[in-house]
Amino acid sequence: MTGTRFKPTPTPSAPTRIRLRPVWRRRIAFLAAAVTIAVLPLLFTDAYWRTNLIVCALNVMLALGLDFVLGYAGQLNLGQSAFYGLGAYASTLLITKAGIPFWIAFAGAVAFSCLAGVVLSLFAIRLRGHYLAIASLGFAVITYQILLNWISLTQGPLGIYAIAPPPAVTLPGVPVIDFHNLANLLYLVAGFALMSYLLLDQLIRSPIGETLTAIREDEVSAASLGINCRVWKVFAFGVSSTVAGAAGCFYASFVGTLVPDAFFVTESFTILAMVVVGGMGTLIGPVCGAILLTVLPEFLRNIGDLRLVVYGVAVTLVVLFMPGGLVEAARLASARLGRLARRGIAQ
Amino acid sequence: MTTGRSRDPISATPKAGVLLRVQGLHKSFGGVHAVRDISLAIAQGAIFAVIGPNGAGKSTLLNLLSGIYRPDAGSIVLDGIDLTGLSAHRRVRHGIARTFQKIRLFRRLSAVENVVAGFHIHHDIPLWQYVVHAPAFRRDHARCREEAARLLAFVGLAHRAHAPAGSLSYGEQRMLEIARALATAPRLLMVDEPAAGLNAAEVETLLDRLQALRRSGITLCIVEHNMDLVMKIADWIFVIDYGQYLFEGAPAEVQAHAGVIDAYLGGQPQ
Repeated sequence: MTGTRFKPTPTPSAPTRIRLRPVWRRRIAFLAAAVTIAVLPLLFTDAYWRTNLIVCALNVMLALGLDFVLGYAGQLNLGQSAFYGLGAYASTLLITKAGIPFWIAFAGAVAFSCLAGVVLSLFAIRLRGHYLAIASLGFAVITYQILLNWISLTQGPLGIYAIAPPPAVTLPGVPVIDFHNLANLLYLVAGFALMSYLLLDQLIRSPIGETLTAIREDEVSAASLGINCRVWKVFAFGVSSTVAGAAGCFYASFVGTLVPDAFFVTESFTILAMVVVGGMGTLIGPVCGAILLTVLPEFLRNIGDLRLVVYGVAVTLVVLFMPGGLVEAARLASARLGRLARRGIAQ
Repeated sequence: MTTGRSRDPISATPKAGVLLRVQGLHKSFGGVHAVRDISLAIAQGAIFAVIGPNGAGKSTLLNLLSGIYRPDAGSIVLDGIDLTGLSAHRRVRHGIARTFQKIRLFRRLSAVENVVAGFHIHHDIPLWQYVVHAPAFRRDHARCREEAARLLAFVGLAHRAHAPAGSLSYGEQRMLEIARALATAPRLLMVDEPAAGLNAAEVETLLDRLQALRRSGITLCIVEHNMDLVMKIADWIFVIDYGQYLFEGAPAEVQAHAGVIDAYLGGQPQ
């Protein structure tokens, strides 16, 4: 830890900082996030940026889901692209083939990808570290191949077209909320991303947070405290794949077309990059990482597939020089600024 | 192999009654017999010590008792409950806790978080309150923090509550492991070489804390290398060598026993 060697001497002239109770800090942060989401479509009026923002929100959900299982429970899951794809295909097929209303199909698809996560983890749970990573990567490859080759069901590389957005919502007293309008769709998806954040935050601040981090730090030790590591790893996988499945449902209805290539295994690595660059084991980290790694490559559009190089370089730099990611970098920077400020006041 | 015991361990201890009874325990690793036909009885409320030279199988025995290893043969019964087939995390619910010879704290968590993780089996929160933190959740949270603070104070780490466990000194880490194990509210606490790497003052504190635990009714099983420490606090000493029973008795008897001196010094007693 930094800054423990030299304790700054308290100076009487230093202004007393107002310390808020954590509950209130969280409420204010939540309010700020909600307001930010509310004004985003007003700041970005063109379809191009609104589309990007919706992709941002989807990636935030995917990264948050992965962080729960990777950053907290410590299990390297490279199957996130598969759960994303399963959510997207399950909801679309339920709507188009079975004629089920959107929100019921949504619930079904989320339950299905949760189940897929639980089943995968039941098989993969004995594996650790690299072996788990390889097994989950294998799952992502198999899922991709099934989506690609089960043509009678998924239409394979031809894709499924003309997927409708979620049905319009009619509330008394307000104009009809139509999700053909990108601003409304952005509110919907960003709202779900915010809810995912809140849900995971609540879970992590409950004793489940300590339980999962205990497993991440040392499984033998965790077992010696009565923690059933298997059950909790399956739980973490289930939560992670549930969030990814929800993102998948929105992806399908937002893009309108579905091809297996959207859920190729590189997507798993992109999500991993977002979590690592942002900061594993924090919730705000993956949010920052997802936004940064979605928006940044848009500025580098003309370099085409070279943007994958950008991901690679970003991850390498972070792992080498700032293992805590953006969150850790910000913490160090603010600590340094604080020290400078105090020194300035003292003089 | 287990014949010729000097006395019944129960009669030598303050309170009668066996808490943990082990019979014919056997464990081998690829032809090496790490533990061979060990039978022992730990009396309720006693400080029971297992000693033996390096590689005698002390830690293997402890791993068998705590459920990290499964025995090849034999049985482990805690107050009438057969633990033999139970996994480590289930045994904790029956009241077994342990510390590790090679410290295994959650290094990146703070001291207090390490202890709170130890409350895992004692949370009393309705399922839905894990998502919506209502009064029952807040009561549980407050109770855990309070309890954790009490345990940290007990082992003398109140001032280090928010330091990452990995940043604590060696001695502090050993004490934190004891606090974490105590959070599970054990009936039998097993400590693996608690004095290893401690300085003289820290050993004194450790002795004092272990005795305080015994007074509070917790049965202790100490695996230890440090003979002085064992002689000072143990009620009953169990000596093993080459994975086998060698001798058991009260400290004075063990001290006088020629075989024990032999095993330790590897030579002829004067």
